[in-house]
Amino acid sequence: MKIAMLVIPLLLILVIWVVYSYNSLIRLNISADEAFAQIEVQLKRRADLIPNLVETVKGYATHEKSTLDAVISARAKATSATGITDVAAADGQLTTALRGLLAVAESYPDLKASANFLSLQEELSTTENKVAFARQFYNDTVRSLNQAVKTFPSSLFVGMAKVSARAFYEVENPADRNVPNVKF
Amino acid sequence: MTASSLNFRKLQDSNRRKTFGLLAGMGALVWLVVFAAMTYLGKSTTLIVPVAVGFALISVWGSYYFSDSLVMTMTGAKIIEREDHPDLFNLIEEVCIASGLRLPKVAIVNDPAPNAFATGRNPDHAVIAFTTRILEIMDRDELQGVIAHEMSHVANRDTLVSAVAATTAGAIAILSDMMTRMMIFGGMSDRDDRDNNQNPFAIVISLLVLILAPIAALLLKSAISRKRESLADATAVAFTRNPAGLRRALEALAADTTVVRQRSNAVAHIWIESPLDGKSVSKLFSTHPPLEERIAILRNMESNPL
Repeated sequence: MKIAMLVIPLLLILVIWVVYSYNSLIRLNISADEAFAQIEVQLKRRADLIPNLVETVKGYATHEKSTLDAVISARAKATSATGITDVAAADGQLTTALRGLLAVAESYPDLKASANFLSLQEELSTTENKVAFARQFYNDTVRSLNQAVKTFPSSLFVGMAKVSARAFYEVENPADRNVPNVKF
Repeated sequence: MTASSLNFRKLQDSNRRKTFGLLAGMGALVWLVVFAAMTYLGKSTTLIVPVAVGFALISVWGSYYFSDSLVMTMTGAKIIEREDHPDLFNLIEEVCIASGLRLPKVAIVNDPAPNAFATGRNPDHAVIAFTTRILEIMDRDELQGVIAHEMSHVANRDTLVSAVAATTAGAIAILSDMMTRMMIFGGMSDRDDRDNNQNPFAIVISLLVLILAPIAALLLKSAISRKRESLADATAVAFTRNPAGLRRALEALAADTTVVRQRSNAVAHIWIESPLDGKSVSKLFSTHPPLEERIAILRNMESNPL
Protein backbone atom coordinates (compact mmCIF):
# COMPACT_ATOMS: atom_id res chain seq x y z
CA MET A 1 0.00 0.00 0.00
CA LYS A 2 2.70 2.42 1.02
CA ILE A 3 4.84 1.53 -1.95
CA ALA A 4 1.90 2.13 -4.29
CA MET A 5 1.41 5.59 -2.83
CA LEU A 6 5.00 6.37 -3.68
CA VAL A 7 5.15 4.70 -7.07
CA ILE A 8 1.85 5.91 -8.54
CA PRO A 9 2.63 9.62 -8.29
CA LEU A 10 6.12 9.02 -9.64
CA LEU A 11 4.72 7.09 -12.60
CA LEU A 12 2.19 9.86 -13.19
CA ILE A 13 4.93 12.48 -13.25
CA LEU A 14 6.93 10.34 -15.66
CA VAL A 15 3.94 9.95 -18.00
CA ILE A 16 3.19 13.69 -17.92
CA TRP A 17 6.83 14.45 -18.67
CA VAL A 18 6.93 12.03 -21.63
CA VAL A 19 3.67 13.43 -23.07
CA TYR A 20 4.92 16.99 -22.63
CA SER A 21 8.29 16.35 -24.27
CA TYR A 22 6.72 14.45 -27.14
CA ASN A 23 4.09 17.13 -27.72
CA SER A 24 6.53 20.00 -27.65
CA LEU A 25 8.64 18.31 -30.34
CA ILE A 26 5.55 17.77 -32.50
CA ARG A 27 4.46 21.35 -31.90
CA LEU A 28 7.84 22.74 -32.94
CA ASN A 29 7.78 20.60 -36.05
CA ILE A 30 4.33 21.90 -37.02
CA SER A 31 5.44 25.49 -36.34
CA ALA A 32 8.40 24.98 -38.67
CA ASP A 33 6.05 23.69 -41.40
CA GLU A 34 3.77 26.68 -40.92
CA ALA A 35 6.69 29.07 -40.92
CA PHE A 36 7.97 27.63 -44.19
CA ALA A 37 4.49 27.86 -45.70
CA GLN A 38 4.44 31.52 -44.70
CA ILE A 39 7.70 32.13 -46.61
CA GLU A 40 6.14 30.53 -49.69
CA VAL A 41 2.98 32.64 -49.36
CA GLN A 42 5.05 35.82 -49.23
CA LEU A 43 7.30 34.75 -52.11
CA LYS A 44 4.19 34.07 -54.19
CA ARG A 45 2.85 37.51 -53.33
CA ARG A 46 6.09 39.07 -54.47
CA ALA A 47 6.15 37.06 -57.69
CA ASP A 48 2.59 38.25 -58.41
CA LEU A 49 3.60 41.88 -57.98
CA ILE A 50 6.47 41.73 -60.44
CA PRO A 51 4.70 41.68 -63.85
CA ASN A 52 2.82 44.85 -62.91
CA LEU A 53 6.04 46.49 -61.69
CA VAL A 54 7.93 45.52 -64.84
CA GLU A 55 5.15 46.94 -67.04
CA THR A 56 5.14 50.22 -65.12
CA VAL A 57 8.90 50.63 -65.26
CA LYS A 58 9.00 49.70 -68.96
CA GLY A 59 6.75 52.62 -69.83
CA TYR A 60 9.23 55.14 -68.45
CA ALA A 61 12.65 53.51 -68.40
CA THR A 62 13.01 52.33 -71.97
CA HIS A 63 16.77 51.87 -71.87
CA GLU A 64 16.91 49.44 -68.97
CA LYS A 65 16.21 46.23 -70.82
CA SER A 66 18.98 44.24 -69.11
CA THR A 67 17.81 45.16 -65.61
CA LEU A 68 14.23 44.25 -66.51
CA ASP A 69 15.31 40.98 -68.08
CA ALA A 70 17.27 40.09 -64.95
CA VAL A 71 14.12 40.59 -62.85
CA ILE A 72 11.97 38.56 -65.27
CA SER A 73 14.36 35.63 -65.40
CA ALA A 74 14.92 35.67 -61.62
CA ARG A 75 11.14 35.61 -61.17
CA ALA A 76 10.81 32.65 -63.52
CA LYS A 77 13.45 30.75 -61.56
CA ALA A 78 11.84 31.66 -58.23
CA THR A 79 8.38 30.48 -59.26
CA SER A 80 9.66 27.10 -60.50
CA ALA A 81 12.04 26.37 -57.60
CA THR A 82 11.23 23.52 -55.23
CA GLY A 83 13.01 22.35 -52.10
CA ILE A 84 14.34 24.65 -49.44
CA THR A 85 17.86 25.22 -50.88
CA ASP A 86 16.61 26.01 -54.40
CA VAL A 87 13.81 28.23 -53.13
CA ALA A 88 16.24 30.13 -50.92
CA ALA A 89 18.80 30.57 -53.71
CA ALA A 90 16.18 31.80 -56.22
CA ASP A 91 14.70 34.08 -53.54
CA GLY A 92 18.13 35.65 -52.99
CA GLN A 93 18.63 36.27 -56.72
CA LEU A 94 15.21 37.85 -57.11
CA THR A 95 15.82 40.11 -54.11
CA THR A 96 19.05 41.36 -55.69
CA ALA A 97 17.45 41.84 -59.11
CA LEU A 98 14.59 43.84 -57.58
CA ARG A 99 17.02 46.02 -55.68
CA GLY A 100 18.78 46.72 -58.97
CA LEU A 101 15.48 47.66 -60.61
CA LEU A 102 14.53 50.05 -57.81
CA ALA A 103 17.99 51.63 -57.97
CA VAL A 104 17.54 52.18 -61.72
CA ALA A 105 14.12 53.75 -61.11
CA GLU A 106 15.84 56.43 -59.03
CA SER A 107 17.17 58.06 -62.19
CA TYR A 108 13.72 58.45 -63.82
CA PRO A 109 11.90 61.32 -62.10
CA ASP A 110 8.71 60.82 -64.15
CA LEU A 111 8.59 57.17 -63.11
CA LYS A 112 9.23 58.01 -59.46
CA ALA A 113 6.43 60.57 -59.53
CA SER A 114 3.83 58.28 -61.11
CA ALA A 115 1.03 57.25 -58.77
CA ASN A 116 1.12 53.69 -60.02
CA PHE A 117 4.82 53.37 -59.21
CA LEU A 118 4.41 54.92 -55.76
CA SER A 119 1.76 52.43 -54.73
CA LEU A 120 3.80 49.58 -56.24
CA GLN A 121 6.81 50.77 -54.29
CA GLU A 122 4.91 50.60 -50.99
CA GLU A 123 3.55 47.16 -51.92
CA LEU A 124 7.03 46.01 -52.83
CA SER A 125 8.71 47.29 -49.66
CA THR A 126 6.06 45.74 -47.42
CA THR A 127 6.36 42.45 -49.32
CA GLU A 128 10.16 42.52 -49.09
CA ASN A 129 9.81 43.07 -45.33
CA LYS A 130 7.28 40.26 -45.06
CA VAL A 131 9.57 37.90 -46.96
CA ALA A 132 12.46 38.88 -44.68
CA PHE A 133 10.40 38.46 -41.49
CA ALA A 134 9.00 35.13 -42.67
CA ARG A 135 12.56 33.90 -43.25
CA GLN A 136 13.61 35.19 -39.83
CA PHE A 137 10.63 33.54 -38.12
CA TYR A 138 11.30 30.26 -39.91
CA ASN A 139 14.97 30.30 -38.91
CA ASP A 140 14.08 31.11 -35.30
CA THR A 141 11.62 28.22 -35.23
CA VAL A 142 14.16 25.86 -36.81
CA ARG A 143 16.68 27.01 -34.22
CA SER A 144 14.36 25.98 -31.36
CA LEU A 145 13.47 22.73 -33.15
CA ASN A 146 17.09 21.78 -33.77
CA GLN A 147 17.96 22.66 -30.22
CA ALA A 148 15.21 20.36 -28.92
CA VAL A 149 16.20 17.58 -31.32
CA LYS A 150 19.85 17.70 -30.34
CA THR A 151 19.73 18.33 -26.59
CA PHE A 152 19.00 15.91 -23.78
CA PRO A 153 16.37 14.96 -22.57
CA SER A 154 14.09 16.04 -25.43
CA SER A 155 16.43 14.21 -27.86
CA LEU A 156 15.17 10.91 -26.35
CA PHE A 157 11.79 11.35 -28.06
CA VAL A 158 13.04 12.29 -31.53
CA GLY A 159 12.57 8.77 -32.88
CA MET A 160 9.14 8.40 -31.31
CA ALA A 161 7.89 11.76 -32.62
CA LYS A 162 9.49 11.16 -36.04
CA VAL A 163 10.97 14.66 -36.20
CA SER A 164 14.47 15.59 -37.25
CA ALA A 165 16.72 18.62 -37.37
CA ARG A 166 16.03 20.94 -40.31
CA ALA A 167 18.10 23.11 -42.60
CA PHE A 168 18.06 26.86 -42.11
CA TYR A 169 16.64 29.05 -44.84
CA GLU A 170 19.82 30.70 -46.02
CA VAL A 171 19.57 33.23 -48.79
CA GLU A 172 22.52 33.10 -51.15
CA ASN A 173 23.06 36.79 -51.61
CA PRO A 174 25.60 37.52 -54.35
CA ALA A 175 25.87 41.10 -53.14
CA ASP A 176 27.01 39.87 -49.72
CA ARG A 177 29.51 37.50 -51.24
CA ASN A 178 31.18 40.24 -53.29
CA VAL A 179 32.09 42.34 -50.30
CA PRO A 180 35.32 44.05 -51.34
CA ASN A 181 38.33 43.01 -49.38
CA VAL A 182 39.80 46.01 -47.70
CA LYS A 183 43.57 45.81 -47.57
CA PHE A 184 45.86 48.21 -45.84
CA MET B 1 25.18 42.76 -16.58
CA THR B 2 27.62 45.13 -18.21
CA ALA B 3 26.30 47.66 -20.67
CA SER B 4 28.47 46.29 -23.46
CA SER B 5 26.84 42.85 -23.37
CA LEU B 6 23.28 44.03 -23.91
CA ASN B 7 21.37 42.27 -26.62
CA PHE B 8 17.66 41.65 -26.91
CA ARG B 9 17.80 38.00 -25.84
CA LYS B 10 19.63 38.82 -22.60
CA LEU B 11 17.37 41.80 -22.01
CA GLN B 12 14.26 39.66 -22.48
CA ASP B 13 15.59 37.04 -20.04
CA SER B 14 16.57 39.60 -17.43
CA ASN B 15 13.24 41.44 -17.64
CA ARG B 16 11.28 38.18 -17.39
CA ARG B 17 13.30 37.13 -14.36
CA LYS B 18 12.75 40.48 -12.71
CA THR B 19 8.98 40.37 -13.34
CA PHE B 20 8.91 36.94 -11.77
CA GLY B 21 10.88 38.21 -8.77
CA LEU B 22 8.53 41.17 -8.37
CA LEU B 23 5.41 39.01 -8.60
CA ALA B 24 6.93 36.70 -5.99
CA GLY B 25 7.56 39.82 -3.89
CA MET B 26 3.84 40.66 -4.22
CA GLY B 27 2.97 37.17 -3.00
CA ALA B 28 5.31 37.55 -0.04
CA LEU B 29 3.72 40.90 0.77
CA VAL B 30 0.22 39.37 0.83
CA TRP B 31 1.51 36.70 3.18
CA LEU B 32 3.14 39.33 5.39
CA VAL B 33 -0.08 41.36 5.58
CA VAL B 34 -2.14 38.30 6.50
CA PHE B 35 0.43 37.37 9.12
CA ALA B 36 0.43 40.90 10.54
CA ALA B 37 -3.35 40.98 10.63
CA MET B 38 -3.49 37.73 12.54
CA THR B 39 -0.86 38.91 14.98
CA TYR B 40 -2.61 42.17 15.63
CA LEU B 41 -6.27 41.20 15.63
CA GLY B 42 -6.28 37.51 16.41
CA LYS B 43 -7.32 34.45 14.48
CA SER B 44 -10.91 35.56 13.76
CA THR B 45 -9.49 37.79 11.03
CA THR B 46 -8.61 34.82 8.82
CA LEU B 47 -12.13 35.12 7.38
CA ILE B 48 -11.37 38.59 6.06
CA VAL B 49 -8.62 37.34 3.77
CA PRO B 50 -10.82 35.44 1.30
CA VAL B 51 -13.30 38.34 1.34
CA ALA B 52 -10.60 40.88 0.45
CA VAL B 53 -9.06 38.68 -2.22
CA GLY B 54 -12.55 37.97 -3.59
CA PHE B 55 -13.37 41.68 -3.85
CA ALA B 56 -10.05 42.37 -5.58
CA LEU B 57 -10.60 39.47 -7.96
CA ILE B 58 -14.08 40.61 -8.96
CA SER B 59 -13.09 44.24 -9.48
CA VAL B 60 -9.94 43.51 -11.47
CA TRP B 61 -10.88 40.41 -13.44
CA GLY B 62 -13.96 41.96 -14.93
CA SER B 63 -11.83 44.73 -16.36
CA TYR B 64 -9.24 42.19 -17.46
CA TYR B 65 -11.72 39.96 -19.23
CA PHE B 66 -13.44 42.85 -21.00
CA SER B 67 -10.22 44.90 -21.35
CA ASP B 68 -10.56 45.23 -25.13
CA SER B 69 -13.97 46.90 -25.14
CA LEU B 70 -13.45 48.70 -21.82
CA VAL B 71 -10.17 50.38 -22.76
CA MET B 72 -11.56 51.29 -26.16
CA THR B 73 -14.46 53.12 -24.52
CA MET B 74 -12.20 54.87 -22.00
CA THR B 75 -9.81 56.09 -24.68
CA GLY B 76 -12.38 56.72 -27.41
CA ALA B 77 -10.60 54.37 -29.83
CA LYS B 78 -12.46 53.39 -33.00
CA ILE B 79 -11.86 50.11 -34.82
CA ILE B 80 -10.69 50.55 -38.42
CA GLU B 81 -10.50 48.16 -41.37
CA ARG B 82 -7.77 47.55 -43.93
CA GLU B 83 -9.35 49.93 -46.47
CA ASP B 84 -9.17 52.82 -44.01
CA HIS B 85 -5.41 52.66 -43.67
CA PRO B 86 -3.75 50.10 -45.97
CA ASP B 87 -0.19 51.28 -45.26
CA LEU B 88 -0.66 50.86 -41.51
CA PHE B 89 -2.08 47.37 -42.06
CA ASN B 90 0.92 46.49 -44.24
CA LEU B 91 3.20 47.35 -41.34
CA ILE B 92 1.11 45.44 -38.81
CA GLU B 93 1.07 42.38 -41.07
CA GLU B 94 4.86 42.57 -41.29
CA VAL B 95 5.20 42.54 -37.51
CA CYS B 96 2.65 39.70 -37.27
CA ILE B 97 4.74 37.59 -39.61
CA ALA B 98 7.88 38.42 -37.64
CA SER B 99 6.22 37.48 -34.35
CA GLY B 100 4.05 34.59 -35.49
CA LEU B 101 1.01 36.27 -33.92
CA ARG B 102 -2.31 36.62 -35.65
CA LEU B 103 -3.52 39.98 -36.93
CA PRO B 104 -5.00 42.01 -34.03
CA LYS B 105 -7.89 44.42 -34.31
CA VAL B 106 -6.64 47.88 -35.14
CA ALA B 107 -8.05 51.11 -33.72
CA ILE B 108 -7.52 54.83 -34.08
CA VAL B 109 -7.78 57.42 -31.30
CA ASN B 110 -8.49 60.90 -32.56
CA ASP B 111 -5.93 62.82 -30.52
CA PRO B 112 -3.34 65.55 -31.20
CA ALA B 113 -0.67 63.75 -29.12
CA PRO B 114 1.43 60.95 -30.65
CA ASN B 115 0.87 57.73 -28.70
CA ALA B 116 -0.20 54.09 -29.03
CA PHE B 117 -1.39 51.18 -26.88
CA ALA B 118 -2.25 47.49 -26.87
CA THR B 119 -4.94 45.72 -24.88
CA GLY B 120 -7.11 42.59 -24.85
CA ARG B 121 -7.07 39.58 -22.57
CA ASN B 122 -5.18 37.26 -24.96
CA PRO B 123 -3.67 37.32 -28.47
CA ASP B 124 -7.04 36.34 -29.96
CA HIS B 125 -8.74 39.40 -28.47
CA ALA B 126 -5.86 41.81 -28.95
CA VAL B 127 -6.47 45.40 -30.01
CA ILE B 128 -3.68 47.79 -30.88
CA ALA B 129 -4.52 51.46 -31.15
CA PHE B 130 -2.75 54.53 -32.50
CA THR B 131 -3.50 58.20 -32.13
CA THR B 132 -4.07 60.09 -35.36
CA ARG B 133 -1.00 62.20 -34.61
CA ILE B 134 1.47 59.31 -34.32
CA LEU B 135 0.49 58.13 -37.80
CA GLU B 136 1.20 61.62 -39.14
CA ILE B 137 4.62 62.19 -37.61
CA MET B 138 6.29 58.80 -37.90
CA ASP B 139 8.01 57.25 -40.90
CA ARG B 140 7.82 53.60 -41.89
CA ASP B 141 10.63 52.28 -39.68
CA GLU B 142 9.58 54.28 -36.63
CA LEU B 143 5.98 53.14 -36.89
CA GLN B 144 7.15 49.56 -37.36
CA GLY B 145 9.07 49.90 -34.08
CA VAL B 146 5.99 51.21 -32.28
CA ILE B 147 3.83 48.41 -33.70
CA ALA B 148 6.45 45.84 -32.66
CA HIS B 149 6.44 47.29 -29.13
CA GLU B 150 2.64 47.00 -28.94
CA MET B 151 2.61 43.50 -30.42
CA SER B 152 5.25 42.58 -27.83
CA HIS B 153 2.77 43.49 -25.11
CA VAL B 154 0.32 41.12 -26.81
CA ALA B 155 2.94 38.36 -27.14
CA ASN B 156 4.12 38.76 -23.54
CA ARG B 157 0.50 38.77 -22.23
CA ASP B 158 1.01 42.01 -20.39
CA THR B 159 -2.71 42.58 -19.89
CA LEU B 160 -2.68 39.39 -17.81
CA VAL B 161 0.48 40.35 -15.93
CA SER B 162 -0.89 43.76 -15.02
CA ALA B 163 -4.22 42.20 -14.02
CA VAL B 164 -2.40 39.85 -11.63
CA ALA B 165 -0.39 42.76 -10.24
CA ALA B 166 -3.51 44.90 -9.86
CA THR B 167 -5.39 42.08 -8.12
CA THR B 168 -2.71 41.53 -5.51
CA ALA B 169 -2.19 45.25 -4.97
CA GLY B 170 -5.98 45.66 -4.69
CA ALA B 171 -6.33 42.78 -2.21
CA ILE B 172 -3.57 44.25 -0.06
CA ALA B 173 -5.19 47.69 -0.12
CA ILE B 174 -8.60 46.25 0.87
CA LEU B 175 -7.09 44.08 3.60
CA SER B 176 -5.09 46.85 5.14
CA ASP B 177 -8.05 49.23 4.91
CA MET B 178 -10.36 46.75 6.67
CA MET B 179 -7.76 46.12 9.35
CA THR B 180 -7.19 49.77 10.13
CA ARG B 181 -10.94 50.30 10.41
CA MET B 182 -11.23 47.34 12.76
CA MET B 183 -8.45 48.72 14.90
CA ILE B 184 -10.22 52.02 15.24
CA PHE B 185 -13.86 50.93 15.55
CA GLY B 186 -13.98 47.25 16.34
CA GLY B 187 -10.95 46.86 18.53
CA MET B 188 -12.89 46.11 21.72
CA SER B 189 -14.77 43.08 20.50
CA ASP B 190 -11.61 41.43 19.32
CA ARG B 191 -9.69 41.95 22.54
CA ASP B 192 -10.56 38.53 24.03
CA ASP B 193 -9.52 36.87 20.84
CA ARG B 194 -5.99 38.17 21.00
CA ASP B 195 -3.30 36.17 22.71
CA ASN B 196 -2.74 37.63 26.16
CA ASN B 197 0.95 36.99 26.18
CA GLN B 198 1.40 38.67 22.79
CA ASN B 199 4.73 40.46 22.39
CA PRO B 200 4.08 44.23 22.19
CA PHE B 201 6.97 44.61 19.81
CA ALA B 202 5.32 42.17 17.37
CA ILE B 203 2.10 44.18 17.60
CA VAL B 204 3.86 47.44 16.70
CA ILE B 205 5.59 45.76 13.75
CA SER B 206 2.28 44.31 12.55
CA LEU B 207 0.67 47.72 12.73
CA LEU B 208 3.50 49.19 10.67
CA VAL B 209 3.17 46.42 8.09
CA LEU B 210 -0.56 47.05 7.77
CA ILE B 211 -0.06 50.76 7.25
CA LEU B 212 2.87 50.51 4.86
CA ALA B 213 1.73 47.49 2.85
CA PRO B 214 -0.53 49.36 0.37
CA ILE B 215 2.30 51.75 -0.49
CA ALA B 216 4.71 48.84 -0.93
CA ALA B 217 2.16 47.08 -3.14
CA LEU B 218 1.80 50.20 -5.27
CA LEU B 219 5.58 50.45 -5.63
CA LEU B 220 5.79 46.80 -6.65
CA LYS B 221 2.96 47.26 -9.15
CA SER B 222 4.73 50.24 -10.76
CA ALA B 223 8.02 48.32 -10.83
CA ILE B 224 6.31 45.40 -12.62
CA SER B 225 4.81 47.80 -15.15
CA ARG B 226 8.24 49.35 -15.80
CA LYS B 227 9.81 45.93 -16.29
CA ARG B 228 7.08 44.98 -18.78
CA GLU B 229 7.77 48.15 -20.76
CA SER B 230 11.50 47.35 -20.93
CA LEU B 231 10.63 43.78 -21.89
CA ALA B 232 8.33 45.03 -24.66
CA ASP B 233 11.15 47.21 -26.04
CA ALA B 234 13.51 44.20 -26.06
CA THR B 235 10.89 41.90 -27.61
CA ALA B 236 10.14 44.53 -30.26
CA VAL B 237 13.80 44.35 -31.29
CA ALA B 238 13.56 40.55 -31.33
CA PHE B 239 10.70 40.92 -33.85
CA THR B 240 12.12 43.61 -36.13
CA ARG B 241 15.87 43.24 -35.47
CA ASN B 242 15.92 46.97 -35.98
CA PRO B 243 16.51 48.86 -32.69
CA ALA B 244 17.07 52.11 -34.59
CA GLY B 245 13.42 52.28 -35.71
CA LEU B 246 11.99 52.08 -32.20
CA ARG B 247 14.76 54.30 -30.84
CA ARG B 248 13.94 57.06 -33.34
CA ALA B 249 10.24 56.62 -32.55
CA LEU B 250 10.88 57.11 -28.82
CA GLU B 251 13.03 60.15 -29.60
CA ALA B 252 10.13 61.58 -31.59
CA LEU B 253 7.82 60.93 -28.61
CA ALA B 254 10.31 62.57 -26.26
CA ALA B 255 10.58 65.61 -28.51
CA ASP B 256 6.80 66.05 -28.55
CA THR B 257 5.39 67.65 -25.43
CA THR B 258 1.67 67.22 -26.13
CA VAL B 259 -0.11 64.69 -23.94
CA VAL B 260 -3.09 62.51 -24.82
CA ARG B 261 -6.34 64.07 -23.69
CA GLN B 262 -7.58 61.04 -21.77
CA ARG B 263 -5.52 61.49 -18.64
CA SER B 264 -7.25 58.79 -16.69
CA ASN B 265 -5.06 57.07 -14.13
CA ALA B 266 -6.81 53.82 -14.91
CA VAL B 267 -5.43 53.49 -18.41
CA ALA B 268 -2.18 55.47 -18.08
CA HIS B 269 0.00 52.37 -17.99
CA ILE B 270 -1.09 51.02 -21.36
CA TRP B 271 0.23 53.81 -23.60
CA ILE B 272 3.70 53.52 -25.14
CA GLU B 273 4.53 56.92 -23.64
CA SER B 274 2.92 57.47 -20.27
CA PRO B 275 0.58 60.49 -20.16
CA LEU B 276 1.14 60.84 -16.39
CA ASP B 277 4.80 60.28 -15.70
CA GLY B 278 5.76 63.83 -16.59
CA LYS B 279 4.20 65.05 -13.38
CA SER B 280 4.89 61.98 -11.31
CA VAL B 281 6.25 62.55 -7.82
CA SER B 282 9.08 60.12 -8.23
CA LYS B 283 10.48 57.55 -10.59
CA LEU B 284 9.46 54.85 -8.11
CA PHE B 285 5.76 55.39 -8.77
CA SER B 286 5.92 55.78 -12.53
CA THR B 287 4.56 53.05 -14.78
CA HIS B 288 7.22 53.51 -17.50
CA PRO B 289 11.00 53.73 -17.34
CA PRO B 290 12.20 57.23 -18.35
CA LEU B 291 12.23 57.67 -22.15
CA GLU B 292 15.91 58.67 -22.06
CA GLU B 293 16.78 55.38 -20.39
CA ARG B 294 14.79 53.36 -22.96
CA ILE B 295 16.46 55.29 -25.79
CA ALA B 296 19.92 54.66 -24.31
CA ILE B 297 19.28 50.90 -24.05
CA LEU B 298 18.08 50.74 -27.68
CA ARG B 299 21.07 52.78 -28.83
CA ASN B 300 23.28 50.28 -27.05
CA MET B 301 21.56 47.41 -28.89
CA GLU B 302 22.28 49.11 -32.21
CA SER B 303 25.99 48.73 -31.58
CA ASN B 304 25.53 45.11 -30.39
CA PRO B 305 23.71 43.25 -33.16
CA LEU B 306 22.50 39.85 -31.87
